[in-house]
Amino acid sequence: MLERIARDRIATLFLVTVAVLLAVGLAAPGFLAPRTASIIWSNGLVLMLVALGIFPVILTRNIDVSGGSILGLSAVTLGLSLNAGIAMPVAISMALGAGIAAGALNGFLVAVLGVPSIVATLGTLGLFRGVMLITTGGEWIEDLPEPLKMLGARSFAGLSVVGIVAAVAILVVWLFLRSRRGRWVMVTGDNRAAARHLGLPVKRIEFLAFVWAGVMASVAGITFAAQIGFVPNQAGSGIELRAIAALVLGGVSLLGGVGSVAGVVIGVIFFTSIDTTLVFLKIPAYWNDLIGGAMLLGVLLIDGRLRIALEARDRAARYRRGDQTSSTTRKLEDAA
Amino acid sequence: MKRYLMRWEVLLLGLLVLELLVFGFINPRFLRPSSMLFGTSDFVQVGIVAVPLTFVIIAGGIDVSFASTVGLCAITFGIANFFGLPLPVALLVGFATGALAGLLNATIIRLTGLQPLVVTLGSLYMFSGAATVLSGVVGANGYEGIGGFPAAFTALGYAQIFGLPMPLFVFLSFSAVLLVLLHLTRFGRLVFQIGQNENAARHSGMPVARVQMLTYVMTGVAAALAGVMLSAYFGSARVDLGSATLLPAITAAVLGGASIYGGQGSVLGTIIATFIIGYLQQGLQMSGVPSQISSALSGALLVLVVALRHGAALLRDIIPVRTRQID
Repeated sequence: MLERIARDRIATLFLVTVAVLLAVGLAAPGFLAPRTASIIWSNGLVLMLVALGIFPVILTRNIDVSGGSILGLSAVTLGLSLNAGIAMPVAISMALGAGIAAGALNGFLVAVLGVPSIVATLGTLGLFRGVMLITTGGEWIEDLPEPLKMLGARSFAGLSVVGIVAAVAILVVWLFLRSRRGRWVMVTGDNRAAARHLGLPVKRIEFLAFVWAGVMASVAGITFAAQIGFVPNQAGSGIELRAIAALVLGGVSLLGGVGSVAGVVIGVIFFTSIDTTLVFLKIPAYWNDLIGGAMLLGVLLIDGRLRIALEARDRAARYRRGDQTSSTTRKLEDAA
Repeated sequence: MKRYLMRWEVLLLGLLVLELLVFGFINPRFLRPSSMLFGTSDFVQVGIVAVPLTFVIIAGGIDVSFASTVGLCAITFGIANFFGLPLPVALLVGFATGALAGLLNATIIRLTGLQPLVVTLGSLYMFSGAATVLSGVVGANGYEGIGGFPAAFTALGYAQIFGLPMPLFVFLSFSAVLLVLLHLTRFGRLVFQIGQNENAARHSGMPVARVQMLTYVMTGVAAALAGVMLSAYFGSARVDLGSATLLPAITAAVLGGASIYGGQGSVLGTIIATFIIGYLQQGLQMSGVPSQISSALSGALLVLVVALRHGAALLRDIIPVRTRQID
């Protein structure tokens, strides 16, 4: 049983999520409805997109904490250009361009200059937020046009356009990681030196991972603007930490090379459903951080202990096998 | 002589002087001794947490939870005061909270063997959540804070010792103690050696777990110090007192020369870096630059300095080959 839990983190997390939702459903009738699932999905969209972006970066054993600021920067780019009367497709591609540029700066600092990724992205976290505030002059962007808000509205089967985009993104990352080049990302994170000796373009892989994180953060920014309908100054601030927490919860190792898309999705859904159930149970919002943080630490503690226990058991088993072989050889020696 | 001149701290000091000169040129009022001296009260809390954070980073760890520990300790201190405990006991409660927070971080990191960043990220949420919930206990909802401190205590926030404002005096004396601790004692050498190579340190019988735990506890206690000091300065204990110290403190430690991979760093560098960052924000504000731009510039400063250091290292890798050819 213990082994099952430790070996299959995703299934366990899935069961825990279902159990929590069922328990809430018992406590508050009317919670278990298809509508709730659709609410959780749309509430988690922004977090999901940011997490999907940071995921490949963490797979290469780097980290990107500038996601929240890139989100804000792209949302502001989108909002300002839309309000200046630029057509929506152009405005959206400008927002994506901002994300690509921001991601490329991160990638340049880390992959080319060799700055430790946590330091580089902490710096750009402040930098991008500052650039965003300079362009807006510190004011909120309001009165976004109706067509943009339509992207965030549920249109069919309880899904919005941005919801479908997120689903496609999940599929793309899943397919990519199964492809030949997708495995390169894993290899780079697992053992960078070995990957380099195998002839993989390690620096380019790292660079592209950061660019991907920038693109996804800007898609998250567009989603944010579409769902909320305005862009506050603090748009997206702190979401990168939530995304990393969700990734860790979903079994993605910060030491690189380990993680799955299913884990990312279930990690994000777990985090979002906690928030949603707290709202449903009418628990004041200020409990969110305490409960979320305690759950994260709890999962980490249990998971870490289980892993250590399993390793110890595996080692003991190896020693036992070693003993048996040595005793059989001793018997043979005795016989001889 | 060259050995001393080529040090990173000397370069930082030069940067600080250059920065002060530039701001003095833009706005001569910036260089008035009184504004430079009392302006420090707005940023020394960054230094108070950054110096022990340097210890954590040198010993191979990282702590991001201090930003909420500051608020949490201020809140427990405020609550103890609210329930009529005498001031020394209330202070003790605040500092004990900080020490416990550090101990919790270190214990979980030790027990799980996980990366410190992940664990302290979790406690960053948990501590700020706990602080918010606790402040609700005494009816101070949200961010308005817990007030009602004795006048003698709030006066401390503006008191002067040897002509120095209280916060600056606390910062300087606290970091002087830590400077001696890191660079002149056995404990300090242990911190460096554990950061250089944790396994080697363990195999040679050094108390790795205990030293690392102490560095986290020190950061917790320093966060409590910052929390109490800010409560005195603002006259109320708020949940978000420390949230603005997260990035500047890590920036100060890294700018001061601490390597994020451990084994490198200095207290003096962190102290100078604190002043660089603090005066940068103040100088920009006094030159009429909005505070949003100053946050962008301090982010850019971190990126630039670290990129320069790594770029210089890259150059050094290339250049020796050429000099050998010339020989």
